Amino acid sequence: MSHVTSQELRRLVDEPMAVPDRDRSHLAGCGRCQAESAEIAENAAAAARLLGSPAPATDVDLEWILVSERLRQPGPAGRPAVRNPWRGPRRLANVSVSAGTAAVVGVVAAGAAAAAALTTVYAPTHVAPLPVSRSDLSAVESITHIGTAQLTGEVSPSGSRSLAFGELSWTTAGRPQQVSSIARARALTGLALPAPATLPQGVGAPDRVMVQPRVTVTVRFSQSAGPGVGGSTLVVTGGPVIAVRYGSPPGSTGLPTLAIVAARRPVASSTGASARQLETFLLSRAGLPSGLTEELRLLGNPSTILPVPVPAGMWEQQTSIGGATAVLVTDPDAFASGVIWESRSGVVYGVGGLLDKEDVLSVARQVG
Amino acid sequence: MDTSFMTRPGSSPPPAAQPAFERFFREQYPPVVRIAYGVIGDAQAAQDVAQDVFIAAFQRFPDPGESDQACAWVRVAAAHTALNAIRGERRRDRRQRLSGAAVPPAGPEETVLDRESRAEVRQALSRLPRQAATVLVLRHSGLSYAEVAEAMNVKVGHVGTMLRRAESALRKEMQNVSRH
Repeated sequence: MSHVTSQELRRLVDEPMAVPDRDRSHLAGCGRCQAESAEIAENAAAAARLLGSPAPATDVDLEWILVSERLRQPGPAGRPAVRNPWRGPRRLANVSVSAGTAAVVGVVAAGAAAAAALTTVYAPTHVAPLPVSRSDLSAVESITHIGTAQLTGEVSPSGSRSLAFGELSWTTAGRPQQVSSIARARALTGLALPAPATLPQGVGAPDRVMVQPRVTVTVRFSQSAGPGVGGSTLVVTGGPVIAVRYGSPPGSTGLPTLAIVAARRPVASSTGASARQLETFLLSRAGLPSGLTEELRLLGNPSTILPVPVPAGMWEQQTSIGGATAVLVTDPDAFASGVIWESRSGVVYGVGGLLDKEDVLSVARQVG
Repeated sequence: MDTSFMTRPGSSPPPAAQPAFERFFREQYPPVVRIAYGVIGDAQAAQDVAQDVFIAAFQRFPDPGESDQACAWVRVAAAHTALNAIRGERRRDRRQRLSGAAVPPAGPEETVLDRESRAEVRQALSRLPRQAATVLVLRHSGLSYAEVAEAMNVKVGHVGTMLRRAESALRKEMQNVSRH
């Protein structure tokens, strides 16, 4: 019988079941094939060791935003140095100037047309503090008709309301529900939220674990809303959310002492308006205080930052939890503190309570 | 010249093109980055390569749907673009050596040993014939024989032969690189 081909000997390393039985039987009794097989396996193992790098962590939401932005841009940004791998370089070198120009114009035209469909414009990767005053919050509430009561109260399954520049509607994937444990909340939401093993003195057991399913908010801008955004639709998804409240030890005050919240980061998609156009539109709203406008502009890239409002009079400092940037906010009397950060996997965490900052940070570091 | 992938000025992709392309991007971005990272060994540079590949893919497949052809195209384009990048690096290294310029220091997360061994792998890969380097990169990024065959437009049966030759050549190149 003829020897096993080197092609089959190589496949034996990766996909042994794909190699015919007759070849495997031959190999068992042939010294020459065994020697060749050993050399092939050795080379394959060496290549795997040299090239088998673990995949780097990637943020697909953010990368999609960057690609979408480039698709909208004329010039070199929309003309990458990628040759068609299914054609030879010699033929590519013969591409005429006019054909190259047509390709670039084509990409720009396609990018502009594609911008009319829904595309991701906001996927924050890190938190940043945003100083706000009481009057700032009132101004935002009067513009959006959304205030503390709406944000902290129970979300009805669906609804809508009119805005000066369009219509806002929302739907939820289900009603908020109280569940029996953090483990149950994790199973329902898929969020990573480890229960802290060590709690600060004065903090009792969890007395309430709530789960809010995903919420989708849609803003339909009227045609007359403004340049760039008129006629656009913005879809923002947030959640699911887990909120855990801790009580006091038995026999003490009975007041809640600590809360831990985990939420999938908000992601926004738009049918045309870019993140910059939306930012420009929002910052040009009549009634928005100039100080707040300036603070929002100073935040930087509007696609990647999750602003953490810091009320006037509170102390704020930047810190790090699990390698992620975190915003720590403390009451000047050290009566209460809280810390917020976003993990590399896109989960926003908040830990806060009637505790000093060291206690809050010790809990946060067990969570993050 | 094949210009079928070009969108004519004034024409527009079908309305579903952008969501379809976003879905395609989300599915294919991780394997494309993994392929580029296997060649370059630098996460940021690999993501830059992946971005360029998808921008170019949009020209060719604005509405990729479930197209196996589009998947194969972005994977092999990632391998080629990353290999081009390290070939450019080889030219830069040679220029630096000739001009006596200093090599930049290792980053905090990268030991000198890591960098040297990665640099040796990149150098060896950049010396291999294009087809050999591509089959190595695709297979060792986790693609099956069938996927490698689809991406490289060859028969599945040929993948084993191409791999065997490429792995043997890589080993010899590594020995050469280590000797110098």
